[in-house]
Amino acid sequence: MDFELSQDHKVLQAAVRDFVEKEIKPIAMKIDEDHAIPDDLVGKMAEMGFMGSYFPEEYGGAGLDVLSYAIVVEEVSKACGSSGVLISAHTSLANNPIYAFGTEEQKKKWLPDLNTGEKIGCFLLTEPNAGSDAGGTATMYKREGDEFVINGGKIFITNGGYLGTGILFASYDRSLKHKGISAFIVDLASPGVTILKNEKKMGIRGSYTTAFAFDDLRVPVENLLGQEGKGFNIAMETLNGGRIGIASQGLGIAEGAFERALAYSKERKQFGQSICEFQAIQFKLADMYSRIETSKLMIYKAAWLKDNKKNYTMESAMCKMLASEAATYVTKEAMQIFGGYGYICDYEIERMYRDAKITEIYEGTNEVQRVVISKMLLS
Amino acid sequence: MKLLVCIKQVPDMESRFKPNSAGTWYSDSDLAWRMNEYDEYAVEQAVRLREQLGDSSELTVLSIGPDRVVESIKKSLAMGCDRGVHIQDPAIHEKDPWQVAGIIAAYAKEQGFGLIFTGMQSQDRGSAQVGVTVAELLQYACATTLVGFAFDNGVVTAKRELEGGIKGVVKLPIPALVTCQLGLNVPRYPTLPNIMKAKKKEITPIAVADLLKEAPLVQTTSFHPPTKKGAGIVLEGDVNGLVEKVIGIIKEKTAVLR
Repeated sequence: MDFELSQDHKVLQAAVRDFVEKEIKPIAMKIDEDHAIPDDLVGKMAEMGFMGSYFPEEYGGAGLDVLSYAIVVEEVSKACGSSGVLISAHTSLANNPIYAFGTEEQKKKWLPDLNTGEKIGCFLLTEPNAGSDAGGTATMYKREGDEFVINGGKIFITNGGYLGTGILFASYDRSLKHKGISAFIVDLASPGVTILKNEKKMGIRGSYTTAFAFDDLRVPVENLLGQEGKGFNIAMETLNGGRIGIASQGLGIAEGAFERALAYSKERKQFGQSICEFQAIQFKLADMYSRIETSKLMIYKAAWLKDNKKNYTMESAMCKMLASEAATYVTKEAMQIFGGYGYICDYEIERMYRDAKITEIYEGTNEVQRVVISKMLLS
Repeated sequence: MKLLVCIKQVPDMESRFKPNSAGTWYSDSDLAWRMNEYDEYAVEQAVRLREQLGDSSELTVLSIGPDRVVESIKKSLAMGCDRGVHIQDPAIHEKDPWQVAGIIAAYAKEQGFGLIFTGMQSQDRGSAQVGVTVAELLQYACATTLVGFAFDNGVVTAKRELEGGIKGVVKLPIPALVTCQLGLNVPRYPTLPNIMKAKKKEITPIAVADLLKEAPLVQTTSFHPPTKKGAGIVLEGDVNGLVEKVIGIIKEKTAVLR
């Protein structure tokens, strides 16, 4: 058993850190204020290979592994949670289902543009009355000749505003519940696709969260992903992997806040000494760091399991739950260590505090993660 | 043309350094390691020349040290070097610049490199001797402190940084060795696809004993932080009184006022 990163992973980690330090950290505050990640940064991240880290080179990917992907999302999220989720949702929720469930033709057609960041991917499952309960999907499709015609709407779609490539879930018979759902690969820059709005949010403000309407959206039959009626399985399997990405985002946010709080606790003097010399602060630092390390171990284990083609459903649920709760806990305690300064927007802690919360909610709320874990324990 | 770039792995300079048990160098436990910053500019310039010359050239990256220095070799391979040479030596920090240069020259002598790039100095020892000594041992032309580089028709045109920000331009025939100053270029990031490609590149291990022929000329006898200065004096009172006190102290303690 070896808990050390390999030399190749260390080289990757150092390279990503260097990039993040120079290209993302200086503009993270502006990304939050502008509610937008500059196209220039998306381009640079794509050039770095962040948009297709673990997919084979023959499909335009970097050919690395899931652990490398987790490290990329973690390091990016230390500086900017919005950029972290851009990579995570794109990689896990768009590239991955095409790679895992697509035909060879579909992989060759869609993956190169996604892996090189020419197109930004998204996952269109959530509706006003369907999220983790995907059986409630009300977006409908029917076949007309060589096309499927889709009508309905989706909400809360991360990366939706880029109008890139989407994995869209729709039902052909609502009475069949989840067994009536199919998945489609969709070019969102198509007639019949309307953006209703890009939501304003508490955190991850640089990331698009988009509501769509589909009005007679026509999709060629060859864009059906997997078999008809198997969309629910595709969605669930995809979300399993996605949880590693969101866990890495939560971990990165927690680490970013911790690094700043640790440094500040050494600088800030009260009553004639650095505040890190007070036990009240020391205990906070110990609790924060322990939760970070616990999450990291579980994320790296889940990534390792996926890389080694072993079942990782339970570990991905656990790492998502642990890391997101570490993120909200650590950012809260970091703000307490910073005191009033932490609440001021000129410091980064309040942004991290706002960015952290969503990681407990999306890609399955933590309550859903607990359902997944306990179901597996009791099955 | 065969090209060589020599790199050193050094601790992150923001580390907290503690003397080792012998008190002759820093302890290497609990340190984060990275490529010597000057060497990153050397690698970038060497890779640019490799790209300029195309496949008629081959660029080797060399580093001496324990297993961890392979990380810096791999980074250089991901930046565009073709192959790596790892001279295995867990005790490189005990060797003086004469020995380090001797090891590199012993390797390079048989290889016929047209151009060798090194950093101007290392961030930890900072002797700035290794590059120039390698050049001397190999009888290569040498220019130091490069802030500009061009290569055409077998001639290196190097812009050097002189004292006070003045620049000088020198020309060197090959074979030559140049040492690179900060700001020579903008080192590229190793991208993920290139990190993947670097995994397939060859890294040749060589035992240091096969190359080390020289005894040290210089020995480090002590490594210690500067002695702590006493606490400063805090003066209080109104401005006129403070000025009088400051003048009194300056007269008493220094030769500035008489």
